[in-house]
Amino acid sequence: MNLDLPLAIRAFEILLGWSLLLQSIEYLRLLKLDRVGDWRIQRAEVPTTWVRHMLDLLYRPMPYSGMLWLRGALALALMMGHAGPGSAVLLFLMALLILLRWRGAFNGGSDFMTLVGLTGLLLAHVLSLFTDTANAWHVALWYVAVQSLSSYFVSGWVKLMRPEWRSGRALTVFLDNAVYGPLPANSLYRQPQLAMLCSWGFIVWEGLFPLALLDARLAALFCTVAAVFHFLVFWFFGLNRFFWAWLSTFPAILYCASA
Amino acid sequence: MDTIMRAMELTALLILAYFAWLAVALRKRQRTVQGPWLFLLRAFFPNWHFFHGLGPAPRLWVRAQSQPGQWSNWQAVYPRLPRQASHLLHNPSVNLALSHQNLVEHLATDIHDLAENADIRDCVSYQLVTRLASDAVQGGSWADTPMLQRPDGFTPQAFQFEIRLLHLGQAGEAQLLLSPVIPLRP
Repeated sequence: MNLDLPLAIRAFEILLGWSLLLQSIEYLRLLKLDRVGDWRIQRAEVPTTWVRHMLDLLYRPMPYSGMLWLRGALALALMMGHAGPGSAVLLFLMALLILLRWRGAFNGGSDFMTLVGLTGLLLAHVLSLFTDTANAWHVALWYVAVQSLSSYFVSGWVKLMRPEWRSGRALTVFLDNAVYGPLPANSLYRQPQLAMLCSWGFIVWEGLFPLALLDARLAALFCTVAAVFHFLVFWFFGLNRFFWAWLSTFPAILYCASA
Repeated sequence: MDTIMRAMELTALLILAYFAWLAVALRKRQRTVQGPWLFLLRAFFPNWHFFHGLGPAPRLWVRAQSQPGQWSNWQAVYPRLPRQASHLLHNPSVNLALSHQNLVEHLATDIHDLAENADIRDCVSYQLVTRLASDAVQGGSWADTPMLQRPDGFTPQAFQFEIRLLHLGQAGEAQLLLSPVIPLRP
């Protein structure tokens, strides 16, 4: 189950590229769907005058949609293994510009994890200029893996400290308030004992995720459960971007557990 | 060989120390650092606190006026959309709806943090929520799903919105903000 460096790099690039491609297509669709966001209002939040003026130019309809098309093309290039340092820098800068366009985040955690992946990609390419490529990627994948493991660990730990999670009540309430909710009246998740069992399952699994680094087989198991978990998060909360953003970090976890 | 082993042990120790520090840090009360750039660049400092606890949840409510004195009922603007398996690949309408709910939560935070003598109407979040409320009363939708569950069926001349704080899992709610009556442009 060991994942060597070349395979880990390819898997990481393909999954990150795929995640970026799906996001870019969604952003292009949002140009027509969104009637609330208005840069003429939002620009007031940018405190630096010259940055505000520069963003005024970049967020006009043509340059902005051009940037999204370019992002999609670079995501495809990344998937095909043709993204060099220039692409890594551009993808990182575009992620930053898109975040600013959406007042710091469009989709919360998935934006943050996408930025972690892009920072890893940027690290690998920038460090390659100073050291050999293998070392650079080694550092980059460790960066991505530690961030991803931290996300699970923190998420599990903060739940452990909350009585409503320990009792299972929070799970039912959040599912009831989810975008695809509310839960049907006879849903299994309304049973307090099952809700508590599920909650403890998540808390323990998330809190113990850093143990994945001990062994590649353990990492594979943790990542498989994580994929199912993120699918369930999508199924109930509609968070499709979370699924792909976190999946793109799994090659880094598997590689670090194999190293 | 010894050097490699020592380096690996050191790496393992560092990782262990990092997660131990993380666990201890999470138990302490977090200091909130604020600033316009920190808000816009918060993606660089993720806290990974997803669905961490049941707290007050802000909700947007709107009502429309067809002619002076004739108001519709208050209705919540809260994202509820039908699930589709294809959303795993392409889900712009749900993601947009969720970003609108985030906007309402940002407005609630801005109201809470509002400085004395400051006017909430100057806040970007207030102005954007006004646009959201305006869109909702004028039959706006998230793709094919209307923002209001029971569209009023008349042409509104003006509208009003309210931010209410709901305590998830408990009965009752509190009013956080009531907007003035806002005329709609013909």
